[in-house]
Amino acid sequence: MTDDWRKRSLKELYRLTGQIFSQIPELARLWGGAYQALNFADVPFTPLRKPLYECRLALITTGGVHRRDQEPFDMSDPHGDATYRRIPASTTLHELTITHDYYDHSDADRDLNILFPLELVRHLVNRGIIGSLADSYGFMGHIEPPHLNTLIQQTAPEVATFLKQDRVDAVLLTPG
Amino acid sequence: MGLIARIIENAGISTICIVSLKPIAEQIRPPRTLHLAWPFGHPLGEPGNRIQQLAVLHAALQALATAQPGQILEPGWRWRREQYTLPEGWG
Repeated sequence: MTDDWRKRSLKELYRLTGQIFSQIPELARLWGGAYQALNFADVPFTPLRKPLYECRLALITTGGVHRRDQEPFDMSDPHGDATYRRIPASTTLHELTITHDYYDHSDADRDLNILFPLELVRHLVNRGIIGSLADSYGFMGHIEPPHLNTLIQQTAPEVATFLKQDRVDAVLLTPG
Repeated sequence: MGLIARIIENAGISTICIVSLKPIAEQIRPPRTLHLAWPFGHPLGEPGNRIQQLAVLHAALQALATAQPGQILEPGWRWRREQYTLPEGWG
């Protein structure tokens, strides 16, 4: 019972801070400065080996985007949801929706290209500016321990493996 | 998001992250970052503003080929107070 209450109040707090941060970016930056969870000295780096017009591109967003016919992200767990949804390259924007309570996505609901530019990339593929579009992936941001481990150990490496199998050259990542 | 980018980059695929919070990128150190100090939920800009969206996409894709490891690129575009031009040949 107490756990349930704590879960609910934590979730409510994240929802509220997310909404406030969406309105007042300065506040979000202060909060971001205090975010000390992870710190890396090294930077992994793979140089892009092809011109853009030969590149196979995939999109990844942590904004909670998924197909309407897929299971929504789990918003009942205040520590987040480390799972992902595969979004086939042929998906149209109206087949997609957002499940994420911790930021204001009303503008993205109107025009998903501001968060997940599937249509824009398809336009650039048709123009011959980008080589091709691969299947993309939706995650839900705001992942805390213990689910952070699942993301690092399991779900993100799984997606990396799928991208390799799909011969993807480059990935554009966008947040919520 | 930066963590996912690091894992994908480690697997041998180039990544570019668009972020609105620079301090987190400075800690997580994604391979390549485009920083725009815009409200959450608007990494490519405003709904319906296709020229703005394409300008952001252009900057991000260009960074894939040009950014140095760990570099955070900052075009400095202000929220709702910039004029954008369509990237050449992207119409």
